[in-house]
Amino acid sequence: MRARIIQRESVLEIIDILRREGYDVAAPFRGRGRDTFFDLVTDANKDDVRVHLPNPYYPPKRFVLPHIERMMNIKCDDGGCCVQPETDVTPLAVFGIRSCDVAGIQHLDRFYLDRDFKDVYYERRRDNLFLVNVVCTDIENDIDEMCFCMCADTGPAARGHFDLQLMDLGEVFMVVAGSAKGEKLFEHRIFEKADAAHVEKRREILAGVRRAFKKKVSWFSAAVRLVSRGGVSEQTWEEIGNRCLECGGCTYVCPACTCFTVSDRCSAAGEVERVRIWDSCALSGYTRMAGGFNPRKAVHDRRNRRFFRKLAHYFVQRELSVACVGCGRCENVCHGNIGMPSVVEILRRSSAGM
Amino acid sequence: MSVTENIYEPKPAVLERVVDEIDEVKTFYWRFIDESEQRRFLERFEPGQFAQVSIFGHGEFPASLPPSPTEGELFFTVRKVGSATSAMHEMGPGAVFGVRGPYGNGFKMESYAGMNLVFVAGGIGMIPLRSCIVYALANREMFGDVKVFYGAREPRGLMYMPLWREYEESKDVECHLTVDKADAEWSGHVGVVGSLFKKRDVNLTSKNTVAFVCGPPVMFRFVIRDLKTLGFSDSQIISTLERYMKCGVGKCGHCCIGVAYVCVDGPVFTYKQIKQLGEDI
Repeated sequence: MRARIIQRESVLEIIDILRREGYDVAAPFRGRGRDTFFDLVTDANKDDVRVHLPNPYYPPKRFVLPHIERMMNIKCDDGGCCVQPETDVTPLAVFGIRSCDVAGIQHLDRFYLDRDFKDVYYERRRDNLFLVNVVCTDIENDIDEMCFCMCADTGPAARGHFDLQLMDLGEVFMVVAGSAKGEKLFEHRIFEKADAAHVEKRREILAGVRRAFKKKVSWFSAAVRLVSRGGVSEQTWEEIGNRCLECGGCTYVCPACTCFTVSDRCSAAGEVERVRIWDSCALSGYTRMAGGFNPRKAVHDRRNRRFFRKLAHYFVQRELSVACVGCGRCENVCHGNIGMPSVVEILRRSSAGM
Repeated sequence: MSVTENIYEPKPAVLERVVDEIDEVKTFYWRFIDESEQRRFLERFEPGQFAQVSIFGHGEFPASLPPSPTEGELFFTVRKVGSATSAMHEMGPGAVFGVRGPYGNGFKMESYAGMNLVFVAGGIGMIPLRSCIVYALANREMFGDVKVFYGAREPRGLMYMPLWREYEESKDVECHLTVDKADAEWSGHVGVVGSLFKKRDVNLTSKNTVAFVCGPPVMFRFVIRDLKTLGFSDSQIISTLERYMKCGVGKCGHCCIGVAYVCVDGPVFTYKQIKQLGEDI
């Protein structure tokens, strides 16, 4: 069996093991107030790592797809130009990644690695990534009213795509290995044998957590159908668009958004570095071409675009899931109340003539 | 384990000569510095494809490939419009820049074997069409009649003039030029591109014919209307789209229209497909 248990007080030792094996480890910390964030674990802060915390707004996606990533260095002199692609990647482990964000990384894997062209930068980071998933079991801390992983079918317990999965059973945590890399860690003595009672306890706790979610029903399938068949009126898109402040927040906090722009910037004398930066379809410059022509000028066209890209059957078929993991972040950050769950609801109501 | 190719890495190329085409538009003849890269590119590319051009320090832009693979020579025709293209316009022979590609689906000319070909272009819309016109004439026996209709605002807005002069003498192709506004030296037809279809010496029918249309949005709309009057169906009209693009390989997301990425699913679409995408041309 690929499951073990670990004593509560030993859970953070997993971080020590990973660090000893050469991983940089990112883990969740509490800032001031509600603020929580992933940060690299150091000797100084390692005791402040928290297992149960509200999921940080800024998703751990950035550990495989950095906000700004150097792609190559270009050196030009009299002898010509030399392009040196960036190749340096340090193995990184994310401790405490939630199931929704694991699903986000699974989505990115399908997008960046499964098509005709493979993204070499993403691939390199992904190959060097170790994921320690924590199942949301602390109803007070882990879950908020925006969470809707149950509708997106990504949580509360991820079914795969992690290396290790931890679930709080009270006195002990249950540990499940999702990969050979993860299972290898079971050689360490902190992992003890799990028995049938633990498995039963796990099932009980999960059932309880599922009942605690406020959002249990979303009309994803109806939304997918409406969007794919062009069943959403222009007026509805305009209503949604009118509420968009074009801040781009939804795309920045989304664990499943993939868009980026590329920019050259001058570094040392005569050298240029080419970087890629997250981009957002909410921004008007997103489709503007040199010369000024913009095929998607109206804000509702851009909103239409975002939800089409996330929900249309064509993309669902290609990527095997809607491009939404149910983390609820977009709903949390949106000033106009047009995060994914709200839009799904607006689409459903509009089709019902409500 | 096989090493994944870095799809974003531009390969250094050197500029060989620059030709002034029309105002703000120049043609840049170039070759890859690495010979094997040059061969690989020439073997792979098809009419209608494009490449990503890197002007180091200024950025990267997608550019149509106007040469036909049958010419064995590589060049870009580029309008000065943004910062990277402006920087390219400052470059002279010997300058080094980067190219990656070729990308996109291209015109898939072999699928039109045995058919009549009509090319309709306005202004710099000729850049992507030049490739398949030259290709079609190099493989003349593959196709039926070949007609070219090319218009610009004024005579000095017509590109690739030596080519048209040569075609006007040729029996292999009908070549019709027009300008919206003539100058003192212009003795040819005056009027929009669509008005060429009604010229007395033009016999244009939709039967077993496919029309390649490329040009500014206004011209595009009117030409579509004229072609439909002549009986062309939406799937007999083919065009190539342009969008803001950063990667060229379906990752950056900018060129996605409806369910298609212009860079990998296009840039060549039938008018029927374009209508289904549901966005302005």
